[in-house]
Amino acid sequence: MEDQNQESSDPVVALSLCDSTPLLWRAQDLRTVRSQSVVGALLGSLPRAPRQNLKLGRPLLLLPEEERLLRERHAALWVMTERTRSRIQAAEMSFLRREQQRSFEEQSVFALEDRKSALQRAMTSSQSGKNEALQRRLLDLDQNFTFPRSALAIQLSTTRAGLNYCPEARAFLQLDWPIRDQGNAQFDTRYLVFRDLWGRGFFLTSAGKFGGDFLVYPGDPLRFHAHFIAICLSLDEPVSLLDILAAARLGCNVKKTVLLCSPAPNGPVHYTSVQWSGMV
Amino acid sequence: MANPNKTCNAEKFYNEILSPSELFAARSRSHKIPVRGQKDFFPDDSKKQREQLQQTLEEHWSLVSEERVERLGNLVKATWNPNEQIVELQTPAGKFWQTMGFSSDGKQFLLPEEALYLMECGNVLVFYKELPLSIQDGYEMFLSSDTVGLQQFQVFGHLKRLGYVVHRFDPSLEPSSYVRQLNLPQSHERGGRTLKRKRSVSPTSSQTETRAESPAEKMEEDSKLPESLLVTSAEPPEAQNASISSADDSRVRTWRTWNGPGRDSEKTLITASSSARSRWDFSTIFFPDLGHGGQRPSCMAPPDPSLLPADLTAGVCDVAAWRHKINLRHVKMSAKERKREQHKHRRWRDMNKDKEVRRCSNWAEYHDLLARRQAKPRGQPAHLWNAEVEPLHNPTRPLSTAELLDKISVIKSTHLLDGASRLKGADEWRICFNVYQPDSVADFRKSNPGKPYARMCVCSFSGPVPDLGVIKQLTFQSGDVPVVFAVVDHGDISFYSFKDFQLPRDVYP
Repeated sequence: MEDQNQESSDPVVALSLCDSTPLLWRAQDLRTVRSQSVVGALLGSLPRAPRQNLKLGRPLLLLPEEERLLRERHAALWVMTERTRSRIQAAEMSFLRREQQRSFEEQSVFALEDRKSALQRAMTSSQSGKNEALQRRLLDLDQNFTFPRSALAIQLSTTRAGLNYCPEARAFLQLDWPIRDQGNAQFDTRYLVFRDLWGRGFFLTSAGKFGGDFLVYPGDPLRFHAHFIAICLSLDEPVSLLDILAAARLGCNVKKTVLLCSPAPNGPVHYTSVQWSGMV
Repeated sequence: MANPNKTCNAEKFYNEILSPSELFAARSRSHKIPVRGQKDFFPDDSKKQREQLQQTLEEHWSLVSEERVERLGNLVKATWNPNEQIVELQTPAGKFWQTMGFSSDGKQFLLPEEALYLMECGNVLVFYKELPLSIQDGYEMFLSSDTVGLQQFQVFGHLKRLGYVVHRFDPSLEPSSYVRQLNLPQSHERGGRTLKRKRSVSPTSSQTETRAESPAEKMEEDSKLPESLLVTSAEPPEAQNASISSADDSRVRTWRTWNGPGRDSEKTLITASSSARSRWDFSTIFFPDLGHGGQRPSCMAPPDPSLLPADLTAGVCDVAAWRHKINLRHVKMSAKERKREQHKHRRWRDMNKDKEVRRCSNWAEYHDLLARRQAKPRGQPAHLWNAEVEPLHNPTRPLSTAELLDKISVIKSTHLLDGASRLKGADEWRICFNVYQPDSVADFRKSNPGKPYARMCVCSFSGPVPDLGVIKQLTFQSGDVPVVFAVVDHGDISFYSFKDFQLPRDVYP
């Protein structure tokens, strides 16, 4: 998807709250944020193969920095659970019943056709002797085919139905944004670094497993390895030399460069790269 | 892809709903995950790279946007009860019942995290107000930070997907330090109640539980006893008004099966004393000895009500029946044993037969005597021991090298559990799950799960690191099962554990 829209016309994604954490649910929303170089982390079981951890599925959890970025760009809004639910309850119930009946009827037609075509395929491939028996079965199928209710395929929706909103509601819903970042200095530092690196076209993910704040990818993490481990420090924060050595050594071992990132007040972000020289 | 504005308007009220033909087609879809190729080092804006990225992204989105489709017949139906925070099954459970869920009052229930996991696996369809819940509904309605929050569920799901059996940890069901010290046999009835207890929201079930609990647990719950008191042995109840707490029959029966016949005296008996309920002093609470002589009354007075749980009444107990069941024969000792007993006896008396001791007319003289006797063997530079600072070691006392090394070590090593029993639990740190290994699934029984492989404590990268006090306390609470810290960093989960480490010693005695 191309990202040539201006900021204001960027599609809006819906965040909904789960145990005070904002999650993205709609597949369309996931694509939208990814097209804006926002990666997030998938948390749920993958429908196709739910019992493995290598590839996970929806929902998508955003880093606090990603969430704040989307909010500042007015590219995300909050969806309230309770209000939406009660409004659609009654309408949904009758809709659902009708839908299921219709689905059952249509699926039984599909099932019948499926069975027929299977038999027909068998007929063309087998000898003439067997054909008669198959012909009889085909007729039989036409007359007393029943599609058992238990064979009805139904969908276990990932996203709540009726999760919709129009652009006009944007401003209104924006007001309901819960205050999550407590304005602590560390979070601000991280956010300034995140915004700067993101603005330079990098993709960022969380780097807890490498002892840093962000992993910095030159392109989409699906296709590229991370180049940097970003460690966010405010400019006036004293750092122990041992910590820097440890970070550099770890970065060297995973073939990444450690970046010390410090945003100057109202200015640019200062980046210092630390690399193990390898000199003996 | 269409213009986003247009999609926004054109989107139906119900989005991401599959059509009947899509549903039908989904029945025969593949369950394979496409393999990811080698990553590139740097984007060079080449056509090849762009195409590869496009293809990978399309694969990714088709996987991520895929909806769960199941046959109606394969789904277990259930309803969500928000008041009790529990999911009740409406149709018979599937294979998952071997490791998940519990039954109560003839109904089958799932805990919210179990139900949510099974929804994600496409095994269970949960209804609320007659509407099926989406996975999103499940996340938003089932997870709460009081019980199992999003982070806990991430860990739960991660472990479940790996095949582990994961149960909620309930501290009140673990044998207390008191029980552990007494080495009481583990009750097998417990497991069954385990699950019931999780529903302690309902007042009816909590009543039935009180009875089934072992008395030792009860004591421990009521009072956190200092360890020194725990080892107090029951003194012979000669001087006491021994009394037996006799509750209704069922209770007595329960206790008997737990401890076997012949050991009754350990359990039921409590004498009245002025002990407060909050802190039991076992030096003043005596266990009556039913086997002691035949001249006792056959009835025992009721125990001090202050020693019993509030809702329990105990009357007079007829002990005659119990007497029949215990061995009242006198102990017959062999000649050799008798000799040993006498010898022991004599050694105790020796003190008073000692002539020098008899010459002492008061305690001061006796102490002098003792001091003199002890000083004697030191011999040579006796003055060294007169000053305030004494030599570290008395050369005349034999000592192994290891002990000597230990004596001169400035920093003493300490164990993880040292002093742990006195620590108070911190609110923000608790053990969340008991984890059992995947290979145990085949013969796993919910009623008797056995010893867990590990216990999980869930915390976050952005939160504090547990301090020594927390680690000590959790390790102590966990007993001999290792505690593992599952640290959640957004999507990633790392597992850490802290273990006691004994420095190797060069010298062995």
